[in-house]
Amino acid sequence: MLDRIIGPRRTRQFQRLLRNGKVTLLCLVLTIVVLRGNLGAGKFGTPEQDFKEIRDTFYQYRGKRTEPRRVLEELQTTIETTSSAETTNNYAEFDINKLFVDEEDDVKKNPNEPYSIGPKISDWDEQRGEWLKQNPNFPNFVNPNKPRVLLVTGSSPKPCENPVGDHYLLKSIKNKIDYCRIHGIEIFYNMALLDAEMAGFWAKLPLIRKLLLSHPEVEFLWWMDSDAMFTDMAFEVPWERYKDRNLVMHGWNEMVYDQKNWIGLNTGSFLLRNCQWSLDLIDVWAPMGPKGKIRDEAGKLLTRELKDRPVFEADDQSAMVWILASQKDRWANKVYLENHYYLHGYWGILVDRYEEMIASYHPGLGDHRWPLVTHFVGCKPCGKFGDYPVERCLKQMDRAFNFGDNQILQMYGFTHKSLASRRVKPTRNDSSNPLEVKDELGLLHPAYKAVKVSSS
Amino acid sequence: MGQEGAQKRGTSTLPTSTTANGGSRSGRSLRGNRQIHKTLNNIKITILCGLVTILVLRGTIGFGSLSSDNDLENQAIIEETNRILAEIRSDKDPDDPEDDQNQPTVNLNDTYTLGAKISNWDEERSLWLSRNQDFPNSVNGKARILLVTGSPPGPCDNAIGDHYLLKSIKNKIDYCRIHGIEIVYNMAHLDKELSGYWAKLPLIRRLMLSHPEVEWIWWMDSDALFTDMVFELPLSKYKDHNMVIHGYPDLLFNQKSWIALNTGSFLFRNCQWSLDLLDDWAPMGPKGVVREEAGKVLTANLKGRPAFEADDQSALIYLLITKTEWMSKVFVENSYFLHGYWAGLVDRYEEMMEKYHPGLGDERWPFVTHFVGCKPCGSYGDYPVQRCLSSMERAFNFADNQVLKLYGFRHRGLLSPKIKRIRNETATPLQNVDEFDIRHSAQGSSN
Repeated sequence: MLDRIIGPRRTRQFQRLLRNGKVTLLCLVLTIVVLRGNLGAGKFGTPEQDFKEIRDTFYQYRGKRTEPRRVLEELQTTIETTSSAETTNNYAEFDINKLFVDEEDDVKKNPNEPYSIGPKISDWDEQRGEWLKQNPNFPNFVNPNKPRVLLVTGSSPKPCENPVGDHYLLKSIKNKIDYCRIHGIEIFYNMALLDAEMAGFWAKLPLIRKLLLSHPEVEFLWWMDSDAMFTDMAFEVPWERYKDRNLVMHGWNEMVYDQKNWIGLNTGSFLLRNCQWSLDLIDVWAPMGPKGKIRDEAGKLLTRELKDRPVFEADDQSAMVWILASQKDRWANKVYLENHYYLHGYWGILVDRYEEMIASYHPGLGDHRWPLVTHFVGCKPCGKFGDYPVERCLKQMDRAFNFGDNQILQMYGFTHKSLASRRVKPTRNDSSNPLEVKDELGLLHPAYKAVKVSSS
Repeated sequence: MGQEGAQKRGTSTLPTSTTANGGSRSGRSLRGNRQIHKTLNNIKITILCGLVTILVLRGTIGFGSLSSDNDLENQAIIEETNRILAEIRSDKDPDDPEDDQNQPTVNLNDTYTLGAKISNWDEERSLWLSRNQDFPNSVNGKARILLVTGSPPGPCDNAIGDHYLLKSIKNKIDYCRIHGIEIVYNMAHLDKELSGYWAKLPLIRRLMLSHPEVEWIWWMDSDALFTDMVFELPLSKYKDHNMVIHGYPDLLFNQKSWIALNTGSFLFRNCQWSLDLLDDWAPMGPKGVVREEAGKVLTANLKGRPAFEADDQSALIYLLITKTEWMSKVFVENSYFLHGYWAGLVDRYEEMMEKYHPGLGDERWPFVTHFVGCKPCGSYGDYPVQRCLSSMERAFNFADNQVLKLYGFRHRGLLSPKIKRIRNETATPLQNVDEFDIRHSAQGSSN
């Protein structure tokens, strides 16, 4: 047909041109596709994304994606916010975060004002001494060798992001209630953020200061993280050892003072005496805490100055190492870095050995043979992201809980069927003379709980 | 297609300059050659294109399966997460052998017993107390009380339940710290037969027998919250009684109502009488046929009781109205809310804060607000969830305000988890301690 218009030779040229053109176009298209596949094309995406989009439109009901395996998220479809939520009797349908109502706004702080944890007090020892004299009903020593201790712990007033996080917080506080009941220690469970600037791990500082000042009858304040559990119910802290010290933490002198290692001590479980020295220490400790620029800058300083510290905002533990190492002359003589028993015991090296401990040792030792405290650092059961696999953390927390609980249950003649089991079984027959049954560990009526028989 | 077209045209037109071998051969072999060449060319191009397509597809989408490696991993994570959650939530025990096989068949003629019969507990106990003077049954003039509460050993059916269990125990810890009461939080099923609400019976018995120094055992449900942090139990009122329980005598004796008493918060003296009562109370409890049948008896005899298995509260009411000799030592208390039914109280908290003050314990400022029927640990309650949870949050904050007062804070509203200052910080905090610490005012009033 083209022959008649252009002429045969021209036709052939034209056809050749067409052929070449087609080949060129084809090669161009292939090139673009291959390049797009390998390099991407910005907002035009990659074939992989195309494929995902196509697949997603088909698989709408697959549920939310999870992050890497440390995330434990409830896989539910998005909660229907219909009016039926108001009248439903089904707890699974309710979104708890819609419940909270703040009736007043946050108090706006003047950004130019330097942070202060509270008005400076310089005569606390005198004030407190006077108060104790005037209030003999609130002695600071319950026995000649036993100071009055307040165990302080806490968690967020809002539900955990992890659906089983609150359950583990509950088990943890039960564990602490048991230990403290046996040892005559009071508990303060905090669920209030006293100072919005000192949020996160720093929240303990304003709380501790407030409690020291509000409870002059308390001689020692024992801070304990919510992810730490007692695993030796029979071990009594050797208070006599600390009669000249004001701060007791688990750690090693060389690691703190010589190496400046950021994990040379642990602030997840420590004892602080109620005195002027402690208030001064808190005043020096707090300035790295206020969130925002101060905390970030402080974090950089700490990473620079301390050994092995990763890069992140300032935390109270690193700040403590820094203070002790750099102001050794001022503080070190009243600080006791305890490592003869596990005032804090890193869980990773302890939890697999529980069966071995049961076979070879007995409660009351508090050290590597039978740790006083097993501290699940890094597990973060209340949050979505931890540093360790979820299954290991939760299973081991169950085991540690049962390990401690067995010591409580044995008082009443029971024990868990195994360290992984929630079920209990009796260990002895029910006796018609219950008071003659031997209390193996001596936890029912221990000596340190005996009431001073007053002569008045 | 283009090639085929060219081929067609090639065969129909005169030989073109592309066929180089051209003119010397015969037309037929020329055409055959050309066809072979063209076919070969086409095949080459097809194979090339095919290879390129496969390469490109492989690079972008993956080889073989439809999902990428990353996605497979995600799939595995989702399944693992679900499995962990399900395993934690279920009561299944990997190490537990099948319990039912080990259980001897229950002989219905045997009366269930809580434990070995004890007949001389009062003597045993006073002997023990006299030998152990450093564990007296009263401290600083106050009888020693042990508060007992608990919850199931596994996680609740939903996360909200565990959160409110946590808030509830914090509430109890606060009250008990202020009033010098010890707490036992139970998470173990001591007796398989007496499960559910009946589990408190073997627990109370066990604790009584192990702690002779305890004078009063105070059972409190996990869904009951203290809302008056100042109020103290008027124990002197009960010196001739062995059990203190909230209720209404009229409802109990005249109407025989199944809610005449409430076993969500009651006290038992540690004595022989209590052990005997527990022994008389327990027989309706063993799960299975016994409990079902007992439930029918109770529904038939108590006013307003729906049909369900026997519960400890109905059983106690039935016991007390049929064996009235027990009543001589039971104090039915209603002058303050040892148990306060939540529905009538929670909306009035603001009014209470305006008009009254803590320490009253009654309808003006309830001692205990008990969230019967809410069942936050289960999946379904008897009331709308929104109402239950907001009321529990309000009650919790109402009580927490009384605790935080010493520290100079209170909640920003009864539904707010955030707090605000009500007193400035001072360099002489001890004045505030004397003024606001509940323990000091309690001590002062008793002096």
